[in-house]
Amino acid sequence: MTDQDKLQTLPVLPIKNTVLFPYLLMPLAVGRPASVAAVEAALVTEDKEILVVSQRNNSVESPSQDDLYPIGTRAVIKRMSRPQDGNLEVIVLGLERVVLVRLDASGPYLQATARPLPLPTETSPEVEALHREVAELAANVLQLAQPNAPAELTRVIAAAEDPLRLAYMLASVLSLDLEREQTLLEAESQVDALRLMHTYLRHEHQVLDLRSQIASQAQSEMSKEQREYLLRQQMRAIQQELGGGNPEQADMNMLRERLTKVELPPEVRKEAERELGRLERLPNGSPEHHVIRTYLEFILELPWGVNTQDVLDIPHARQVLDEDHFDLTEVKERILEHLGVLKLNPQAKAPILCFLGPPGVGKTSLGQSIARALGRKFERLSLGGLHDESELRGHRRTYIGAMPGRIVQAIRRAESMNPVMMLDEIDKVGHDFRGDPASALLEILDPEQNKTFRDNYLDLPFDLSKVFFVTTANTLDTIPRALLDRMEVLRLPGYSEEEKIEIAKRYLIPRQLRETGLQADQCQFPDDALRHIIARYTREAGVRQLERSIGRVARKIALRFAEGKTDPVTVQPDDLGEFLGPERFNQEQARKTLPAGVATGLAWTEAGGDVLYVEATLLPDGRGLTLTGQLGDVMQESVRAAQSYIWSHAEELGIDRSLFRRYGLHVHVPAGAIPKDGPSAGITMAAALASLYTHAPVRQDTALTGEITLTGLVLPVGGIKEKVLAARRAGIKRVILPKDNRKDMRDLSETVRNEMEFVFAEDVGDVLREAVPLLTGKLKAA
Amino acid sequence: MRDVTFKRSTLIFAAAPAQAETWWQPYADVYRMRDGWLVKFELAGVRPEDIRVEVAGRRVHISGVRRDWVLEEGSSHYCMEIAYNRFERMIDLPGVERISRAGIDYRDGILLVRLSTKGD
Repeated sequence: MTDQDKLQTLPVLPIKNTVLFPYLLMPLAVGRPASVAAVEAALVTEDKEILVVSQRNNSVESPSQDDLYPIGTRAVIKRMSRPQDGNLEVIVLGLERVVLVRLDASGPYLQATARPLPLPTETSPEVEALHREVAELAANVLQLAQPNAPAELTRVIAAAEDPLRLAYMLASVLSLDLEREQTLLEAESQVDALRLMHTYLRHEHQVLDLRSQIASQAQSEMSKEQREYLLRQQMRAIQQELGGGNPEQADMNMLRERLTKVELPPEVRKEAERELGRLERLPNGSPEHHVIRTYLEFILELPWGVNTQDVLDIPHARQVLDEDHFDLTEVKERILEHLGVLKLNPQAKAPILCFLGPPGVGKTSLGQSIARALGRKFERLSLGGLHDESELRGHRRTYIGAMPGRIVQAIRRAESMNPVMMLDEIDKVGHDFRGDPASALLEILDPEQNKTFRDNYLDLPFDLSKVFFVTTANTLDTIPRALLDRMEVLRLPGYSEEEKIEIAKRYLIPRQLRETGLQADQCQFPDDALRHIIARYTREAGVRQLERSIGRVARKIALRFAEGKTDPVTVQPDDLGEFLGPERFNQEQARKTLPAGVATGLAWTEAGGDVLYVEATLLPDGRGLTLTGQLGDVMQESVRAAQSYIWSHAEELGIDRSLFRRYGLHVHVPAGAIPKDGPSAGITMAAALASLYTHAPVRQDTALTGEITLTGLVLPVGGIKEKVLAARRAGIKRVILPKDNRKDMRDLSETVRNEMEFVFAEDVGDVLREAVPLLTGKLKAA
Repeated sequence: MRDVTFKRSTLIFAAAPAQAETWWQPYADVYRMRDGWLVKFELAGVRPEDIRVEVAGRRVHISGVRRDWVLEEGSSHYCMEIAYNRFERMIDLPGVERISRAGIDYRDGILLVRLSTKGD
């Protein structure tokens, strides 16, 4: 038979949305008149055959050839009935694939000539592999899509021997869209058909997988808490089985046991019991539970009523203090005094000391020595930059992440109620919108109030009165008055050169040699070398730079030994350039000669003292007073006071008064870049002005310091020790001081006192007599 | 997301005949007789010449085609329940080694196949 013989002309039944595959039965509702006519025409044949073809577009009611797919299915009508609504219902069975050759739309229904288009049966391994794969995948998909699918369906799929039939069957089961179904129908070979089916199935599988994932995820989220609850119950059951009671109860019992063991003040015990009661009633998972538990543990960790025994051995304490620090007699005496008091009255309140001094003089380490001498614990808090009150006093427990304040935490660390607590840098406490820590310190540092200090977190009275508070500061200016008032200020002045040499020999050199691993005999620092380092490589009141410089020298020497050198090294001043590089500071040396109008003053700085010169000059045709050199208000006023004094005493001093009218006055204090202030240059100004107007130079070997009044009195000033040392460093041997500063002489070492000449002035007359030799005769006459 | 569901018109696989060229299966009764077996096929309206019977081993195989011969000009179906076109049916006799002899009778739309067997 040829293809031509197989041509058949049959009525056409166009269908929407779906495709009829060969081998498969499909019920169809037929409503369109042309379709009804086509079915009826098919039924009046002996074989009841019809062509079922899918139409491309649903909305077309009377499809033409273009609206139909070219490939359809020859089918036999198995049943037909007419339900009440006038439509036909038919069941058709797909017979074979056909391709439409010609379509005739002239009659009451569509008619087409079609040629069969069977797919050749293939038996290649590829077909078999695909067949099995598709069958397996299909079983999975069915399982996923409808776990309750009839077993028959699965069985039929598994039993299908014809791969093509399997593919068609699956196509009808899966809800594929029309286009895919048609593509499958049009497949050119069995392999193609199976591949297509495989692709569809895989897609379905992924979609279904995803869907079941989403579903199970939602379910697992719901059941997670339930699961945890279950596990907890199981754990509880296990614990009970083991005889341990339930774990939470065991936990509570442990806390309660600790609570009964610890000695607590009655008020604290009451509060702790109450919180423990609340804790027991709360479920384990509640956030409150954790908060209360932490709180209770903190209470239990605090050293309620635990005091370390003070070592009241005064010689021992003196020895400890001397070991650690050179000189500082005033401070050491004060500490020993307190020891004495404690010996007589153990209930004495601890003093609150404030060590005031420039950086590097040993304030902080002195605190440690006090703790060591007394045998107390040492705790240090740095207040520098602190600007949140809650840091000191804690946060209220209602806040999330609330913590006790630093003071109470420090007590807990110290594990005793009477440590030495050092509050470092109290002059650098800041304040902002979060509160003013300095005000919180008012309570902490007041012996009358700190017996019942209340930390916000603890919310219980806490006794700080046995704590030995020591604060440190570089300056008093930034400390609020009320706070300053609560502290006993002890000044730690800068060290003199002799003291520094002594400190270097006793503490710094041994420490640095130890750190570099050198033996004491391998490296020697003679005094003159140390003096050179102090003068040329450091400028400080303390000894930090000095220690660093010694360390550098020691390391360089250690390197030499490491490289094989064996001879001990003695550091000579001339070698220092090699060790430390070029000299860093040039000493302000006393000027050799002073012209009229220039006087030598002394200034106090945080780094010690300094020598400064006051220069005054007359301005021809000028007017008024010009001041330069960054002088502060107080210093400017003291220039005016000096000027007024000189003008008002012009006659006594033999000054031509016309000078005041004819010339302006300019006063300058180098170095111009450094701001200066304070009243202590008053007599220096007066001397400079007197010298200027009388053309009599001031003695260049004399430095002056002291405040001046309009009536010519000389008032005492501070920082005498530093100023005198600065003068001595500069090579000035004679210093004019206010008479009332004579008491400060005892701060100076014997050497300095013997070496230098001190003149104590009561009024400006004394000053000028001593400072400006040419005026001496006149003043005496006056 | 497009939901995956079965079509409402899920097909009746069981009804699909075993062979591609066969569209329906006649009902059959099988009798155990004193002297052999009798198989009855319901083949109403099928012309005897359109029936083909084959016997091989213990299998009875009938096939053929039922054509609708009530086809008058101007008539049309109101309803159709009888299956037309090709049919096929195979019956394997249980516990039989080989069918030795077969006799065929067609009466009142029923095909009777009498079978004598060896080994009985």
